[in-house]
Amino acid sequence: MELSLRRAQTVTLIKRHGRWILKVVAQCALQLTVLTIVFSATSRANATDVSKGAVEAKLAYCQDCHGPSGQGYRGFYPIPRLAGQQTRYLENQLQAFVERRRPNPIMSPVAHVLSPAMITALATKFRDFNPKPLPGGPKELAAKGERIFEDGVPEDNVAACAACHGPQALGHEEVPRLAGQLYPYIIKELTNWGKERGQNPAHPDTSFIMAPVAHSLIKPQIEAVAAYVSNLK
Amino acid sequence: MITSLRRADAGPLNEKRWRRAVKVLGLHLTLPPAILAMIFATAARAEDKDAAVSKQAVEAKMKYCEVCHGPSAQGFVGYYPIPRLAGQQPEYIKNQLQAFIDRGRVNPIMANVAHVLSPAMLTALANNFHELNPKPLGGAPKDLVAAGKQIFEEGIPKADVPACSSCHGAHAEGNGEFPRLAGQVYPYLVRELGNFSEERGQNPAKPDTSAIMQPIAHNLTEAQIKAVAAYVSTLE
Repeated sequence: MELSLRRAQTVTLIKRHGRWILKVVAQCALQLTVLTIVFSATSRANATDVSKGAVEAKLAYCQDCHGPSGQGYRGFYPIPRLAGQQTRYLENQLQAFVERRRPNPIMSPVAHVLSPAMITALATKFRDFNPKPLPGGPKELAAKGERIFEDGVPEDNVAACAACHGPQALGHEEVPRLAGQLYPYIIKELTNWGKERGQNPAHPDTSFIMAPVAHSLIKPQIEAVAAYVSNLK
Repeated sequence: MITSLRRADAGPLNEKRWRRAVKVLGLHLTLPPAILAMIFATAARAEDKDAAVSKQAVEAKMKYCEVCHGPSAQGFVGYYPIPRLAGQQPEYIKNQLQAFIDRGRVNPIMANVAHVLSPAMLTALANNFHELNPKPLGGAPKDLVAAGKQIFEEGIPKADVPACSSCHGAHAEGNGEFPRLAGQVYPYLVRELGNFSEERGQNPAKPDTSAIMQPIAHNLTEAQIKAVAAYVSTLE
């Protein structure tokens, strides 16, 4: 008896408010569909695609510090040139910032919001810039720097930079371009190499190649080679 | 005998004082030359080209080589393709280092590297590299490997190209002055075979073993070079 009463009550409910119920259900279904499309679109964007507008906006943000054409900037910190840089190198560095293998309190937060697609897009954009280098290091050191760059210092077990970075310091794939890089930035990197890069011994990265070189170079050699490459176009 | 050298009219012999005088004189005469001899002997040993080279010096030099040639000398593709040295025939490494020094093999970077190496260091490095055995770097196009294997094992009789295996060994392991090719870096092999006569045998006063490969490299087409390079780069 209770069952039939309940059934009767339900039927009455539906008869009275049926249209309203239908409206609500239809709306929910529609919204659910829309949300599904939106969210799956977003995840698709993360994996494969990034909008032109988003890249342009992010580029402008990078340029705030790295210079209007990615030529670098001598602020409180020397901020490196990204223009003309090898895409693979840029991608590796951004990943290293994210994973704190290259800890940098400014670049780690910058990098960790970037999707892989955005990283690739930015790296490609910067590779195509070609502004003049910022004023380089002292030219009187450049001649000595050229010797070190091309010949290394075999007696001190310092490898020739040109062997991996190329004769014009343009780099290749994961080997960075050095031509036109900021003089104070190069000095800082070579001096601090072991303290800044490859900081996760459980996950050694490409930075280990440079560790013995940076270690073997003495200060005047670092300044000379930095002066030389910073003046290259 | 010394006492017999005394003048006949010399005073009475004072044994004690005489012995002391002889001792002092003897020291003055023999000590400086002995010291000088030791100094020069040490200096001579350092310059002596056959002298042994310290373990630390060899290890430091190996680390320096590995900056470019890779952590276990498996090679590296930077701006230039840098060859694998791991497992290489020691005689071949020594010949190449000497060729860089003599400018028989033209390479400005390696000439600088090689010219500071003493013969003892050359030998130590060659032997050490021979012992390394990392996996090949890889990266060659896989679809060329089968064609390369055929060239490697059978040669190209129509083009007067002998089978590579006849000198380099059935597994491209090399022998004596014939280099190991197994696991060599693909773009390096392509470059070497493509450029052989421009890079090697450049010192007419010192003809070297590279003369053997000149006609072979010359007769191979670009496609054949890429195929055989792809094949050997996969061998372990």
